[in-house]
Amino acid sequence: MKNLTMILIGGLFLAGCGSIPTQTKLEAYPAMYDDRQPLSVLVIPAINKTTAADATDYFNVTITEPLSNLGYYTMPVEIVKDIFLKEGIVDSQMIKGIPTSVFRKNFGADAVLFVTINAWDKNYIVISGNVTVSMEYVMLSTDSNEILWQYSATQVIDTTADSSGFIIADLIATALTTATTDYVPIAKQVNYQAFAGLPHGQYSSLHRTDMEQAILVSLKEAATDEN
Amino acid sequence: MKLYSILIMTLVIFIGGCATPNTGYYWENYSGTLYNYKKNPNENTKQKHIKELEKIIQKAASKGSRVPPGIHAELGYMLAKQGNKSTAIEQFQKETITYPESKNFIERIYMMLGLRE
Repeated sequence: MKNLTMILIGGLFLAGCGSIPTQTKLEAYPAMYDDRQPLSVLVIPAINKTTAADATDYFNVTITEPLSNLGYYTMPVEIVKDIFLKEGIVDSQMIKGIPTSVFRKNFGADAVLFVTINAWDKNYIVISGNVTVSMEYVMLSTDSNEILWQYSATQVIDTTADSSGFIIADLIATALTTATTDYVPIAKQVNYQAFAGLPHGQYSSLHRTDMEQAILVSLKEAATDEN
Repeated sequence: MKLYSILIMTLVIFIGGCATPNTGYYWENYSGTLYNYKKNPNENTKQKHIKELEKIIQKAASKGSRVPPGIHAELGYMLAKQGNKSTAIEQFQKETITYPESKNFIERIYMMLGLRE
């Protein structure tokens, strides 16, 4: 029953979004529906532009699961990181200047995925706690260097503890929750959400069947279109 | 009632592009044990992550589904680092059998670890 309610809420939420511009996946990412679509993706360890050093690991350990579930062959980020370290690459930022064809040659990767953490701010105010997350994902072809898919979003995720009905107890609980919250599931949720608009890959049963699926066009992109 | 379920199903399909795995992979607590191992690298967290990887492989076997990408490779990598070279190579070979596109990547790991088949 709880699931049903959630589905209904989801429906209402989507219905409320009627005015937000949408596109089909095919319109948004045409390269993902022809032979430019990658089979194997090399996820570059996340670039962390925040002061929260711990955020990097949250995203690195939770990214291969959602990307693989979309039907792509994904190389374990921790091994990739070790290979890079051995080559003297300590920061993924250094990779941005390297021609992507290097990763086709050395890793057999059809595409590379850059993940940038632009914000990871934990807050707790009186009886509520949250974390503001701002992410950017760019998938590049190692063949043509073109952008195959990209996504960016900023969101606030609630980390408030369940209310006990006593305000002082709640205050303490929220402060404790924000300090000890397990951020691994939160990062995983953010990664899953990012890939919701990604066309399904070759290992997915939905491969080449999701072209007409509507995705939200970010307001920033929509604004650029009008210019 | 039937119409009602169809309506819900449609909504689920529409919203659930993210949540429904269409590959049939079982990940168990992969990111949880990996995170703990990264955060506190010690014998205990390492063995727990190795166990989790083995559990993922067993689960796939019992469900008749494909082992998720990178799991055999990661298990092989962890085994190689603790000196179990022959079992490590077995795992790397399983990765390339399951996912032929991983060949160059596995070759790269062999180079890093100084392993040769």
